[in-house]
Amino acid sequence: MNADLEKLQESNKTELERRGSIFNIGAPATEAVTIRDQIAVGFGDGTVRFFQSGSDPKTVKAHKGVVLSMTNYEDHVLTGGDDGRFLKISSDGNIDEIFNFGSKWVDCVASHKDTKVCSSGKTVYIWTKNKDKPQTLEHQSTVAGLAFDNKGKRLAVSRYGGVTVWKLNNNKWTASNFTWKGSHGTVTFSPDTKYIVTAMQENQIHGWRINDKADLAMRGYPSKIKSFTWVGDTPYLVTSGSSDAVCWPFDGKEGPMGRKPIVVANGGKELATFVKALNGEKAVFTGFTDGSVLLAEIDESKKPIMIRSSTGSEVSTIAISSDNSQILIGDMKGSILLSSLWADN
Amino acid sequence: MYKGGIYRTNYKEIDMENTSQVPVTVLTGFLGAGKTTLLNRILTEQHGRKYAVIVNEFGEQGIDNDLVVDADEEVFEMNNGCICCTVRGDLIRILSGLMKRADKLDAIIVETTGLADPAPVAQTFFVDQDVADRTKLDAIVTVADAVHLSSQLIDHHEAEEQIAFADVILLNKVELVEDNDIVKVNDRIRKINPFAKIIKTTRCDAPLDEIVGLNAFSLDRVLDIEPDFLESDHDHEHDDDVTSLSFVSDTPLDMDKFQDWFGNLLRTKGQDILRSKGILNFKGEEERYVFQGVHMLMDASPMGPWPKGKDRSSRVVFIGRDLDNMNLKEGFENCKSA
Repeated sequence: MNADLEKLQESNKTELERRGSIFNIGAPATEAVTIRDQIAVGFGDGTVRFFQSGSDPKTVKAHKGVVLSMTNYEDHVLTGGDDGRFLKISSDGNIDEIFNFGSKWVDCVASHKDTKVCSSGKTVYIWTKNKDKPQTLEHQSTVAGLAFDNKGKRLAVSRYGGVTVWKLNNNKWTASNFTWKGSHGTVTFSPDTKYIVTAMQENQIHGWRINDKADLAMRGYPSKIKSFTWVGDTPYLVTSGSSDAVCWPFDGKEGPMGRKPIVVANGGKELATFVKALNGEKAVFTGFTDGSVLLAEIDESKKPIMIRSSTGSEVSTIAISSDNSQILIGDMKGSILLSSLWADN
Repeated sequence: MYKGGIYRTNYKEIDMENTSQVPVTVLTGFLGAGKTTLLNRILTEQHGRKYAVIVNEFGEQGIDNDLVVDADEEVFEMNNGCICCTVRGDLIRILSGLMKRADKLDAIIVETTGLADPAPVAQTFFVDQDVADRTKLDAIVTVADAVHLSSQLIDHHEAEEQIAFADVILLNKVELVEDNDIVKVNDRIRKINPFAKIIKTTRCDAPLDEIVGLNAFSLDRVLDIEPDFLESDHDHEHDDDVTSLSFVSDTPLDMDKFQDWFGNLLRTKGQDILRSKGILNFKGEEERYVFQGVHMLMDASPMGPWPKGKDRSSRVVFIGRDLDNMNLKEGFENCKSA
């Protein structure tokens, strides 16, 4: 009987789980970014681990508490921790402390080329090439999200009451405010930089068309939106927070205004907690509260593919290697699946 | 079950699913009452537990493994149309960060500034689903200065609110006050808040296990309401004073009537009702029903059968402003089944 049960479980594994590796780290996976052929993952025990196909992960003891934020920077990662440290870490384990804020958390980090940015409390700190002292940008409340536009000329800073978009001209930053009542978290520019969108501390996302500050209120979610990703050429902003991946079209002059989103990757009773675009495709990976992950095309008539089966712990991060060959999925219990996306030929 | 504001309908189920919820103690207290003394004790005593203490510009580091986190007390209104739904945005962010830790915290303590209204902190635990899933409001603990409380209650409505919201009140600096004055302060507190536990202290010297890990917000604890406290008292000086009113009924209540009355009451008067608690005996129901509310928000649930051999009486307590003008007595009486 037992043997049969094991067989049954084995056959419930997905193709990617069968050919991939599973690592149990034991601390929540908080962030993941891709650096060349490696995927760096930050954890709730303060470590950053570099995963690469065919070898064991390299562990770097980076922060004392939680790795709260992470982004890539040249061949390194930048991390912010609840130990107040803003770090630059190389994949061979070299740690460079950029700044120590003491008991203040480093909530957000961002980068563009050789510019390193972090936020702690209400202040954003910007380090540009060859300068030891950072420039600072002040806000009226704690910064909860940072995003550069694709040229690095504008920096969106989300906070309570909206977003401040800072523009760089002649080495000086000038502010423009986008206002909407409530607390705004993660922020993103649309790929054409015509829109900014934030995930709020309520069950909605909010967007603004930058040239006229027109509001886009995207509501109707049963839970908070913890993750979003831009997909395809349209492009679609695909979001978590519902039992499906909710895909808002941002094409045309009006974007999603007055239009309904497409919903794909239905998780049944489970809610989507993390979404990640498959680069170059009109498809998205959607992770759910039970740990399962589906790959779906942005097409309601197509059936999604099960990528990872349930682990019982919500998916907290997904990253794809830069050559689209590997996928890494992490959850709140610290289980990591690293697998090749395509079958060997 | 009720239709007032936002509420969690099946409290038991939520708690069963979340055995790993970290208890959160909210620490309030008027300026100079001794809150910092208490925080210092929590941070320096060898209590052997792992606490995170969320403070405002405290400037101290934890000893004995404790974690000190700086907060900004950012209060904001939810856009959900509920006028009472102010929450602490920074708390949502910090608690979500703490929940990513690999090591498990035994408790989280949130300090509020001396002039803060405790409601947004308490409401955060009702309104924000992520916070409610992973943490639970354990108790609101208020440190009060036995020497100055009486005058503070007259001059500052914040002091009154902090007493009104409390589950535990540390009546501190009692060594500086004559015994009969302590009795007076004690009575004054009781008039505002009939159900808080009052602990008399010198330098906040109460055992920590009477402050942290109490489960005071658990619906089970509503059943602890002492009938002795349930005396309606109307002699207060100003209309905007915080007072309490309570009602007892041996006649079973009609569930539909109660829901209509109570739901409407919280919807229309929730801003003035700071806290409400009650045990209800509904006609035709074998189980006791209990509820506990903060302004418009509340938790309600059936709580097992009535104990054998004991009276089945309904008891409700309201703490708030302007209670006299809410026709509470009449409303409650009208809920009695025919």
